[in-house]
Amino acid sequence: MEFIYSLQHTAAMDWFRESGSLWGYPAVLFLHTLGLGTVAGLSGAIDLRLLGVAPRIPLAPLTRFFAVIWIAFAVTAASGLVLLVAEAEAKLASPVFWIKMTFLALALVNLRLLRTRVFADPRIDTHPIASRAKVLAATSLLLWVAVTTAGRLMAYLEKGPIG
Amino acid sequence: MNLPHLHLILNHVPTIGTAVAIGLLLLSLVRRNQQLTRVGFEVICVVALITLPAYLTGVATGMELEKLPDVSKAVIARHHDQALQAFLFMLVTAGAAWLGVWRFRRVGNLSTTNIVVVLVLALLTMGGMMTTATLGGEVRHPEILAPGEIAPTAPPAWLSAAMVQRFVLDNTWVWPSCETLHFIGLWLLFGVVVLVNLRLLGVMNGAPFSAYHRLLPWGVLGLGINLVTGMFWVIATPEQYMTNISFGLKMGALMLAGADLLYLTTFDGPWNVKSGEEAPALGKAFAVSAIALWIGVMYFGRMLPFLGNAF
Repeated sequence: MEFIYSLQHTAAMDWFRESGSLWGYPAVLFLHTLGLGTVAGLSGAIDLRLLGVAPRIPLAPLTRFFAVIWIAFAVTAASGLVLLVAEAEAKLASPVFWIKMTFLALALVNLRLLRTRVFADPRIDTHPIASRAKVLAATSLLLWVAVTTAGRLMAYLEKGPIG
Repeated sequence: MNLPHLHLILNHVPTIGTAVAIGLLLLSLVRRNQQLTRVGFEVICVVALITLPAYLTGVATGMELEKLPDVSKAVIARHHDQALQAFLFMLVTAGAAWLGVWRFRRVGNLSTTNIVVVLVLALLTMGGMMTTATLGGEVRHPEILAPGEIAPTAPPAWLSAAMVQRFVLDNTWVWPSCETLHFIGLWLLFGVVVLVNLRLLGVMNGAPFSAYHRLLPWGVLGLGINLVTGMFWVIATPEQYMTNISFGLKMGALMLAGADLLYLTTFDGPWNVKSGEEAPALGKAFAVSAIALWIGVMYFGRMLPFLGNAF
């Protein structure tokens, strides 16, 4: 914790927060949004398919999107880490931040379970979708909604230096 | 060319465009020609797309006009209220029309209920737009008023911009709630749009385009959520957006992205892509532009406080 707090007050982080350059805080914030849009959006679309929307889309080819989702998650996590360090004292003290991290951890476990329990099955397109898969799809949607909600509320329940 | 000028050009489209669509729908009923009905529905979608900048440039024009000494703020406010109401009707009508076009692709015909619902909604929209146009005329053309009348000539609207503004600004929970919904709408729309357009780009050629087309209403739902939540903000704090270059760029990208979204359903190119087939080059070009434009919408949305002055 002390280490993160000390990073918050380095010259690089001061520039990142306060320079007003579009390549600083705004660019990283955008990457975080784009990452979220890709991770939650593609997960959400796959969840909808499992829940019975667009039943003629074959499931097996969607497996490759898990790699895309993890790459997008890496972008989201890296940009999120920079945003966290920039306002470490405010964010780490905020309960909403920890609630978001809890939902995020659950959402990632859920994503992994979808990949290993549902999409690893070679009969995925020849057998009806198991109810267990539908439950995982529903919880996935709910968890991404929860992560998004907590993430948005962070900006309003505790105002950081930029808001 | 400035925003008031653009408003004067665009403000004719909602009224005349809806009238044309209604004419097409009535003609299609007389001729019992559902292809014509479909065209009527498509016209409504395009008119709705143009109604967005007509409304927004109107908000900007009102802010400019209010600075002048010889205009009535009451007339401007009444014109805005009517425009807001008519715009909401336009969005609902376009939603119903788009669903009809989407469904027509799958089943090859339109239900009578669908046609009647869209027709009734379109008539209500046109009525609202005509009153809006009259009230807009009264802002700058006192000669159309009866002698001694100081306007506005219409009774107060059931929904006023001031009402919406008070609702957003007086309740601290409204703004963050809109933010939350706007981001959920963002990823719902983006996920669906990316997946469907990737089929056109050849990522998953094993299934026909029609299989992916089924997902689109969920993307349109996300778009609808974001239009409504976005309008709450614009009505509550118009000064944050109307002089904001990032907002102008976002709305420009949004309109083009909206046109790309319509392309997926209205043109035969994507729909005819069978299992195992590559999409035509035009379809691929639209797909690339759609993904790029939605990323642009996100970028300029995120830059509202940084390129411009919004918080």
